[in-house]
Amino acid sequence: MSFVEFRGVTKTFGRAPAVEQLDVGIAQGEFFSLLGPSGCGKSTTLRMLAGFIAPSTGSIHVQGRDITHLPPEKRDIGIVFQNYAIFPHMNVFDNIAFGLVERGEDAATIRRKVGAALEQVGLSGYDERFERELSGGQKQRVALARVLVIEPHILLLDEPLSALDKKMREEMKFWIKSIQHSIGITTIYVTHDQSEALTMSDRIAVMDRGRVLQIGSPVEIYEQPRSRFIAEFIGESNLLPGRLARADGTTGAVEVAGAQVPARLAQPGLSTGAEVAFLIRPEQIRLEPWSADEAPMLTGKVADETYQGALRRYRIDAAGQHLTVEVPNRPELAQLPPGADVQLYWRPESGLALA
Amino acid sequence: MTERAIPWPMMALAVVGFAYMLLPIFVVVLAGLTAGEFLTFPPEGLSLRWVAAFLQSEKYLSAFFFSFRLALMTMVVATILGTAAALFLARSNVVGKAALRAFFLSPVVLPGVVVGFALFAFFIYSGMGLSRTIWGLWIGHILYSTPYVIGTVGAALAAYDDSLEEAARSLGASPWRAFRKVTLPNISQGIQAGSIFAFIVSFGQFEVSLFLSAPNAEPLPIAMYNSLRYQFDPSAAAAGIFAITLVIASVLLTNRLVNIRRLLGRQQGQ
Repeated sequence: MSFVEFRGVTKTFGRAPAVEQLDVGIAQGEFFSLLGPSGCGKSTTLRMLAGFIAPSTGSIHVQGRDITHLPPEKRDIGIVFQNYAIFPHMNVFDNIAFGLVERGEDAATIRRKVGAALEQVGLSGYDERFERELSGGQKQRVALARVLVIEPHILLLDEPLSALDKKMREEMKFWIKSIQHSIGITTIYVTHDQSEALTMSDRIAVMDRGRVLQIGSPVEIYEQPRSRFIAEFIGESNLLPGRLARADGTTGAVEVAGAQVPARLAQPGLSTGAEVAFLIRPEQIRLEPWSADEAPMLTGKVADETYQGALRRYRIDAAGQHLTVEVPNRPELAQLPPGADVQLYWRPESGLALA
Repeated sequence: MTERAIPWPMMALAVVGFAYMLLPIFVVVLAGLTAGEFLTFPPEGLSLRWVAAFLQSEKYLSAFFFSFRLALMTMVVATILGTAAALFLARSNVVGKAALRAFFLSPVVLPGVVVGFALFAFFIYSGMGLSRTIWGLWIGHILYSTPYVIGTVGAALAAYDDSLEEAARSLGASPWRAFRKVTLPNISQGIQAGSIFAFIVSFGQFEVSLFLSAPNAEPLPIAMYNSLRYQFDPSAAAAGIFAITLVIASVLLTNRLVNIRRLLGRQQGQ
């Protein structure tokens, strides 16, 4: 039995369903991400777990106990909001002490615990600051300390990095993950940023239009996306229209851009002749063979090149199909001018046929 | 931050606007300080004789303090009702909320004469014994003042981030405690502004009072009006001076109280 369980949860606002038939189980100590574009239902899911909104049907269980109708203050679930929701009329100390005061802890305990929490998030000495005197990163640390100090069962993070600049975002990503790892708290992380989800999560649920499309580890989600939507949403992708020329079990071959290339099959039921999308990630493609006898998968012409510092990004025209290829910017690799003929190489297992 | 210069046409417009609003007040103040026998402007010499006359007038003094008490009572009820209504309008998903908001605000949109007369007629025909009583007058003033509180508290709630209250809830606060400890302090400016408005509006209310006030308990504007109908004497202007002073003092005092309370709140928190 999972630590957190959504059982057939549906939430409708007016007539439009925001979340439909959600069945998800989350293990104790897991870092679980809800990933999807805005309006996919991920925030609604989080808010149902926090207790701010009630499901229209279905139930939510924590440690086997039905909490569907429990008010938020009885759930022992901590939440960090997108805008941090630091109480502006209280200083940092009182913000962090808030949950302890509500629990009726005595003044000495509160002082000790708040002090420890401030140290944990690296903000010792900031007790008397107010929200307006804190940077974005500091606000986030306060918000996290305020939640962790009450030692909740579950930590909810609602797009906590989206208000930060890029550099701070990278730093906080690893910091949050390391804190989570050190306390081992079950964490549910809502984001629309696939790179955050891939970096931090144990498992990811990809959502779209109120439904969970796929649940899996970052590796599974990235390398074995179950649909075109997921393939396009997670990372960069080349999705080419093709037709399944051969299918045997989990592998086969796809006719694409005038050639036949090997592919893994995303769905087991695919039969020969089916219209499919062929997925090959830009970083999987090489413009040079690894050995003299390696045969090219496709041939084409360079349409244009973009210099990106660490990478060179080529757009290749192969029999009318456009592919993006990312090549590490290293001197021993050839640089190709627009119009040059190229051969494209990749490992046979890198290609994926999607229904 | 650098201050940007205000273009002179706007500046001129502002000066004209202020002059337009403030001149009548100067006229009243100067007229109340006249040394002459009649209400005239410009005054015929300056003296405090009409101020003294106001202070010795049983009629004006009792009207002044009656208005003051009425405005206080109105302020208390209007603040509570207006805050509750603003919260409801901001948070419920009830169908027809826009219509409800318009309905709540209608007393200030409708002409005061209409509101006053409608209440007067209602009190008489409903037979509740409220017509021409202090209670009926109080109800009228509450009706007329509450929309101002709804307006200012509504504006404060629009600027208020609901996730603050949600954060408090999920940290263990009951709905009431989350409201009192987090929401209330953050919308208190709007509530205080609304209650000042309610006080001032009630203190200066005329049309509704005209229909609802009892003969033995006249608010100051009605007393001034009745007095001016029969004799054009400057004591009415002197009464005006006191009314203006009270309104200005209440605004200044409330500002001061707000700051003191914030100061106390900060020290208690440590």
